[in-house]
Amino acid sequence: MFQYIVRRLLQGLIVIFLVTLATFGLMHLAPGSPVDIMIGEAEVSQQVIDAITKKWGLDRPWYEQYLVWLGNMLRGDFGQSMVRTGVPVSQMLLEAAPVTLKLNLYAFAVALVVAIPAGVLAAVRRYSLFDYSSMVGATLGVALPNFWIGLMLIIIFAQKLRWLPSGGSGSWQHYILPVAVLATEQMAVLARLTRGATIEVLHQDFVTTARAKGLSEVTVIFRHVVRNALLPVITIIGYRLAFILSGTIVVETVFAWPGLGRLFILSIDRLDYQVVQAIVFLLTILVVIGNLLTDLVYAYIDPRIRIQ
Amino acid sequence: MAEVPRSAVATERISGLSGLERERRSEFSRAWRRFKRYRPGLVGLAFIGILVVFALVPGLFAPYDPIAQDTAMRGAPPSWAHPLGFDHVGRDILSRIIWGSRIAMLVGLGATAIAVTIGVMIGATAGFFGGWVDSILSRFVDTLMAFPTLVLLIVLAAIIGPSLVTVIVVIGTTTWASYARVVRADVLSLREREFVLAARASGAGQARVILRHILPNAMGPVIVLATLGIGGIIILESALSFLGLGVQPPTPSWGAMISDGRAFIRHYPQIAIAPGVAITLTVLAFNLFGDGLRDALDPRQRE
Amino acid sequence: MPRFDELLRCTPAAGLTRRVLLKRATAGVAGLAAFGLFAACRGAQEEAPSPTPAAPAAAASPTPTRPPAIVTTPAVVTPTPAPEGKYGGEMIVTGHHEIASLHPDDAGPTVHWVIVTQIHNGMIELDENYQLELVLAESYDVAEDGLTYTFKLRDGVKFHDGEIFDSNDVKYTFEWYMNPDNAAVNAALFRNIDRVEAPDERTVIIHMKQPDAPFLVRAATTFILPEHHHGKVGKEGYASNPIGTGAFKLKEWRAAEFTTVEAFDEHFRGRPYLDRFTEKIVPEASVRAIMLETGEADSAVWPLVAEDNLRFAKDPNYTVFRTSSVAVNHFPLNNEHPILSDKAVRQAMMHAIDRQKVIDDIFRGTAVLATANLSPALEQWYEPNVKQYPYDPERAKQMLEEAGWVDTDGDGIREKDGVKLSFTCTTITGDQARRPEAEVVQQYFKAVGIDMQLAEAPVATITEKLRAGQMDASLFNWTYGGGGGDPDASATLRSNAVNNFSHYKNPRMDELLDNGIKEVDPQKRKEIYSEVQKLVAEDVPFLYMMFWDWFNIFTKRIKGLPESALAGSQLYRKAYQWWIEE
Repeated sequence: MFQYIVRRLLQGLIVIFLVTLATFGLMHLAPGSPVDIMIGEAEVSQQVIDAITKKWGLDRPWYEQYLVWLGNMLRGDFGQSMVRTGVPVSQMLLEAAPVTLKLNLYAFAVALVVAIPAGVLAAVRRYSLFDYSSMVGATLGVALPNFWIGLMLIIIFAQKLRWLPSGGSGSWQHYILPVAVLATEQMAVLARLTRGATIEVLHQDFVTTARAKGLSEVTVIFRHVVRNALLPVITIIGYRLAFILSGTIVVETVFAWPGLGRLFILSIDRLDYQVVQAIVFLLTILVVIGNLLTDLVYAYIDPRIRIQ
Repeated sequence: MAEVPRSAVATERISGLSGLERERRSEFSRAWRRFKRYRPGLVGLAFIGILVVFALVPGLFAPYDPIAQDTAMRGAPPSWAHPLGFDHVGRDILSRIIWGSRIAMLVGLGATAIAVTIGVMIGATAGFFGGWVDSILSRFVDTLMAFPTLVLLIVLAAIIGPSLVTVIVVIGTTTWASYARVVRADVLSLREREFVLAARASGAGQARVILRHILPNAMGPVIVLATLGIGGIIILESALSFLGLGVQPPTPSWGAMISDGRAFIRHYPQIAIAPGVAITLTVLAFNLFGDGLRDALDPRQRE
Repeated sequence: MPRFDELLRCTPAAGLTRRVLLKRATAGVAGLAAFGLFAACRGAQEEAPSPTPAAPAAAASPTPTRPPAIVTTPAVVTPTPAPEGKYGGEMIVTGHHEIASLHPDDAGPTVHWVIVTQIHNGMIELDENYQLELVLAESYDVAEDGLTYTFKLRDGVKFHDGEIFDSNDVKYTFEWYMNPDNAAVNAALFRNIDRVEAPDERTVIIHMKQPDAPFLVRAATTFILPEHHHGKVGKEGYASNPIGTGAFKLKEWRAAEFTTVEAFDEHFRGRPYLDRFTEKIVPEASVRAIMLETGEADSAVWPLVAEDNLRFAKDPNYTVFRTSSVAVNHFPLNNEHPILSDKAVRQAMMHAIDRQKVIDDIFRGTAVLATANLSPALEQWYEPNVKQYPYDPERAKQMLEEAGWVDTDGDGIREKDGVKLSFTCTTITGDQARRPEAEVVQQYFKAVGIDMQLAEAPVATITEKLRAGQMDASLFNWTYGGGGGDPDASATLRSNAVNNFSHYKNPRMDELLDNGIKEVDPQKRKEIYSEVQKLVAEDVPFLYMMFWDWFNIFTKRIKGLPESALAGSQLYRKAYQWWIEE
């Protein structure tokens, strides 16, 4: 077991190395350079351009720059943002990450409270009106493009009704719209997952046994079904950790929340190599760990899956 | 995933060819009967049918040229002649929505086809050969699957430069992991089954075993997954367009239309509302259809 | 998605409104004759501390400066004491992209500049009407030969950390920009300075290598950095921790979220009325408009869509300044491209587009037609008698045929020697103001048999590829002379210029531009730049479309605003005089 974990972690290191190398190479292959953003419309001479390029080490071949980055990385130094002049990347991440995490946590909490009971009930009352309507609702939740629904909510609640602020962060009211948008999607995904998992459990022998023992339906559901159904649901949630980022990119843009998602896409646009690199690096770590945990949990839940 | 044998599997060995045909037909009609029970799935199927017709011959239904501009009509609201109004450069929105179905279908089906092809090949290879091949491929699949597709798409589209082909290829080559995983699991269990062992023993080559005996039996979940995936891909395309990395103008694409309408949402809301509704309904249709299919084809959930 | 709306323009700039004209009539201010000459010779391309901004869109917009038309002497005004206002409150403005740095060297983008100008002061500064204003300098003098500038500094000015401002800070600042090791973005503005002397605490003498007409407007307005702090932390450290002499000091900087500055009690002009001034970052143009409407924000630093601008302009609950940009909205065309190198093709393209209709329909009339590289708002330099390109598709077709471009295969696109009349125009990713414009022009071209494909790319990619000659065409706004009110366009039209995006090469143009910089006689200069404009209209190095109007919108509760403005973004420099009255 221990050996297995070590081997997986080593494989993870290779994955991280390859992913960051590829990102770095691709970013440098793309035409343009952050220097163009830095000088903007200033009336510059070629000497100034050269001086800035040299100062940031951009005159060296990209693989050399990668090695420098890797070296710094191993010493725990994420480097500095070129576009946000000289600000340490770690500081930018520390500012942006809590924003994204907070949004997602609240959205997730809302989604959980609504989706789990709905999913279980839909599974138990399969083919009932509730099942149909909640599943169509969930399907609709997945089908709504989140940036679009964000715009619609702003128009309705901020512009027309003026109940809520249109964007930015600060008071609790600022959370409502972005959390609603994020939660819509998560709720939909979660409800479907829960329903599927519950249905599967309902067909297992031990449920039949429990029923045969004469336990009340409520007891069967809560004691046996829900507990067992939630395990795979939770696993999948953990597994999708890395998706937090992509989920919030557009929401953060629409609602002007300065989180990781927006930082990421901004940095790609401005070719701010160090920042993109750092985010991809962290993301890959999340992915590797998520994968490992998922497999371990699966093995724990289902001893039939032998770890080879 | 599905480790329970398809019923077709069991019959294949014992039945002759004509018997097999018969089995398959009855299998199909049984699936159809199960599918019909899920009403929303039928509605989804009907809507998809309409979309396909629109996408094939948009010219028959679109009242105007989707590209022709009358700039003086910028943002003009809906009227009898133009039921959805005009966009920000004076184009008829209804016509653009109808023509946009073609792009949605092209992206949805094209990217899915690429993803399924790659996914099935990789999944079958991993599952059939096992060992270190499986180990490497599986790690790759795990990583890709856990990696947020949108992030990957953004990086690739930004670097390659956005276009219809880029969108289709990039989405196709980044979303195949789930197919690979499903196929691998199926193949893994199928390759130990007697009919496969029998085929091998009778001297069939590996390629033949995979293509003739294993894959056909692993396609059910793939079809379900693909149907459910199309909706997600249409959303991905619109998100890419929203981020300015999608299909380029003047090609009418729903995602690009929302993106166009964003700045004018206060003055000419119809520009963004109409394509948003179109995307939502289309994705909804594919997902409902996919749900129905799953009920019909996935034996685990059968009652 | 920074990209969402880098819309509107790059350079806001000077313009004329009725209020402005009024103001001008009354603006009788003494200038310094001797050196007015120089200043007039070459106005600032951009204002010094905030040189200019950024790229087409990305981010930036420069804060242009333009001395009032016709004036040959920069007038110097002393800041008028603000009328009695009320103390307290927080003013909130919105910007469309993050504030990447608070260092004056990075203050090109308007969104940056709006905060940086609250924190810092220059010896002299340009006001919203392009008048020079004495700020940290009490007086200044320039030698007859234009080679020596002497500044007398104000007494009793404190930095935010309590240190006293003196001549060493000025000397330090200038020398920091001049030192190539510091790789300052604006180093070029200081290239004609020989050395800076600080003979005593209150005196600064600047010796020039050669006369430099725009020196006062461009370099002397540089925001002064504190030697004791900047010398220690350097540019990178200073960017997040600026300490100036301005009316407001930094309270909190959250680059992508908001930046707040608060009143500096010991400011030499007295404590400002406002307790706090905050710029919030809101990428969506529609959300910025909603925030103005709901009172969540008091002003939008970056323009909204034309419909919103016009609506607020009509609404009595808002004070709106409408100024005209000097940056031309244009399609740079690679003049070395096999097809676009054909002058006849470029001229035919001009005839093929109904530019006035584009302005009226797509921009709702909030722009003026361009006739060459200079804006009609630059009254004293503008040359109306140039070759005109009225909308005439038949003429365009005829010109193309005469040049040998004929559609032989019937696909609607002309060919010549087997080459299709086809090229790609790359617009800025997510550019909601200009992409529609490109789509409209695409259809105009199609009507005469020209195939213009559209693509999108980030700003950095566009400017780099254009400079390298690897891109056919693009669409953005840029200043080709007129920044700061001076017609010099050496940075963009000269054959070797870094920002000659069209790779335009005409020896006569180079000659004219070189003469124009040296010429001090305004009348002779005018002749030179008239010819420049005629040459641009004849050669059509790029497709010049229009000059946009720039709107600065304030809610009515903000009081103490200037009567009028020529340079909209320059308005925010005056926040120390504003107060809030509900």
